[in-house]
Parts: sequence; structure tokens; C-alpha cells
Amino acid sequence: MSAARPLDFDAARADLDATARRSGALLTGVAAADAFDAAPEGRRPGDVLPRARSVFVLGGAQPRAGDWASPNYQHMEVTTTSDRIQTIALKMAHVIEDRYGYYAVCVPPGVDRGQQPFVSIALAAELAGCGSRSLAGPVLHHEYGFMYYAAIVTTLPLPANRPLDAPACPAPECVDMYAEAGTTPCLKACPIEDGGCLGGRIEDARVAERRYDAARCATRVQNYWVPGFQHALKETLKEPDPEKQKMMLFSSLFTRTLWSMTYSNVSQGQCAECMRVCPVGSARRRKQ
Amino acid sequence: MMSFFFVDPEIYRKYKDEVLALSHAVQVDFQEHLPKDQRHPALSDREIGERLGLDERVVREIRCVAERDKYGVEEFEAAVRFKDRACRDYARRGMSAVMKKYVDKSKDRGSDQSE
Repeated sequence: MSAARPLDFDAARADLDATARRSGALLTGVAAADAFDAAPEGRRPGDVLPRARSVFVLGGAQPRAGDWASPNYQHMEVTTTSDRIQTIALKMAHVIEDRYGYYAVCVPPGVDRGQQPFVSIALAAELAGCGSRSLAGPVLHHEYGFMYYAAIVTTLPLPANRPLDAPACPAPECVDMYAEAGTTPCLKACPIEDGGCLGGRIEDARVAERRYDAARCATRVQNYWVPGFQHALKETLKEPDPEKQKMMLFSSLFTRTLWSMTYSNVSQGQCAECMRVCPVGSARRRKQ
Repeated sequence: MMSFFFVDPEIYRKYKDEVLALSHAVQVDFQEHLPKDQRHPALSDREIGERLGLDERVVREIRCVAERDKYGVEEFEAAVRFKDRACRDYARRGMSAVMKKYVDKSKDRGSDQSE
């Protein structure tokens, strides 16, 4: 494409959407870079890339229906990561720079030195109309339910989407269940008042309150990952008896943690029990 | 001389509860889409520092350690048992067992999202 010719931004958007989907993305959306008012200072698109105009969001890399149906949750520990969608995002960043001549930065899927996201990819997905936040936390799409997202901050001024008018969560079934039982599938699976991570309230078919214990969730989602490793190492270093220390070092927890750390260098979801019971998108998880 | 920066344990013990309470550790109505009068975003490390009279870097270190320190290794063992139980239960009974009558009701209404 000639740099001298005025760029048709609608056509560029359509091209990027098509390229991303051909590359394996399930859906795409665009958030305006100046729409991130609710994000903390230092974690907005302009903090990642000066003169940022758009955030191109890709969703996909869902666990397979078989993963959800398996009685062995450990499958998901190694097969559900953000790597796959991030790979497509890296490709799309190249496309934006090489084909259109604008800056493009992939939002890193991990965390910064303060253990916090560089830019909230969940907020980007929500602003780009790719889904809405759920009571359990993840952004859910009406039809597809849970998926991984990646985001590219760019100076390319793409036509932007709007957040969804109606949230995907709570599903009608969950509204009915809450009205009668005072809970929902995700709250029942992981109740904050009984050793879990999630609490909340539904009013007028909308989430009216949400409570989330992030530290406990880390013990489950990052069970055999960096946090688990740090704890296992701390306990092992305290042990004065060399024989016991060997048993700890070679234990299943320590060993599994080390294996797991080699599977993914970015973001790894080792617990999905709140999503396993979620009715949003469940029709797509039913196979023969 | 320190080999790398870390917080003095005394300082950590003194401030960890306050820092955790002001941070993202337990999120109550944290989500960005909520109306401003309903939303309770956590304070940033800089804001916590201003409130407690600490440097931002010290707050960040206290918060990072406290987030990890909140639950011990036994909670990681408990997580394994929790996931084993929840996953096997779902594989055996499916979601319908959890909320079958609500799914049926939703089907009656013509919902396309039910199982």
C-alpha cells in the first residue's frame, strides 16, 4: 500500500479483522485509546505507546469442549494459556506496522514488577465490545463464553466499537438460580465465605456486587507456578534435616511446579472451576 | 550492604495489613464498568504511599510480599484437592446437576445459552 495515498481506515479495520480471523482469532474488536478513563494512571494505552489512538483486541484460544468434559483438570493446566492468542497478536502488530506504517505494541500478557498488568486486557476487551466482565471475573462473550484475549496498542486510528449494551453475565439461568437459591453456579463452585474466591449479589438481573479474593485465586490459578514454587522453596529451605529436605525437593508439588513453569512463560490458567460451570457459551461446549 | 532491594521485616509487619486492605488483594466492586458511585477501585502504590507516608517502591514491595504471604503452602495443597473434587464432580454430573431446573426454565423461555 502506498504511503502517499490517504488511508481508508474502514478498509484497514476490515482487513485487520479478516487477517486476525484467518490467523485463528475467534473475534476481534477495537477500543478507542482515550476510552480507558477507568484505568489507573500509568496503565492506559498512552502510557505504553505515545500518541496511541486505538487498541485492537483479539479473542480466542478457548479450551476445547473435551478439556471441559475431562475428569482430569490437569489437562487445562498445560493447554490453556494466553500464548496462542498472543502469538496471533504479535503477527497482527507486524501487519499494522508493515502494511499500514503505524506503530503497534502488543500489551504483554504477564505482569510488571509490581505484579500488575501493563494495561488491563480485560478492560480493553470490554471497551472493544468483545464481551463483558462476569461475576467470576473473566470477560465473557454471549455466544462463545470464556476465552483468552490479547491487545495491541497502535497509533493507527481505527474505527472503534462500543461496549456491549447488555452484559453476557448473569445468564438467565443464573438469574433464576440466584432468585431461588441465593447463589449462582460460579459462586457455588468457589464461595468466598467457605474457602473460595468469589462472592456477590444479583439485582434486577444484573451483577450488583462482586467480591473477589485475588490472593486465594492465585493459589488455585497459579497452583503449580511461580507462587507455588516460592512457597515450596521457602518451606524446603527451612528444613534442617537433609533427608527430609530431599523428600520435599523431589515431592510431587515441587516437581510439578518446576515442570509447569517450563510449559508457559506468560500467563497460565490452572484453575477454571468457576468457568467450567458457567452457562454462558455452554452450548458450544457440548459435543457427542 | 543489601544484595538487592527488599523491605525490612519490621516495616513489613507494621504496614502489611493496611497496604493489603488498600490494594487490589480483596476486590469489592472493583470492575471498571460499574458506575462511579458504586465502584471501589483500589489505591495505586503511589496513593497508598502518600496515605501511609511511605515511598512508592516500599509500598510495592510490601504489597507484593503480602499478596504472596496471605496464604501459606497448605493453601496450594488445598487448591489441588479443590480442583480434583470440582472437576470430577462436573465430569460425573455435568452442569445440569447443579442447575437443571433453571436450565429447563430458560429453555422454556427460548434461551439459546442453556445446556
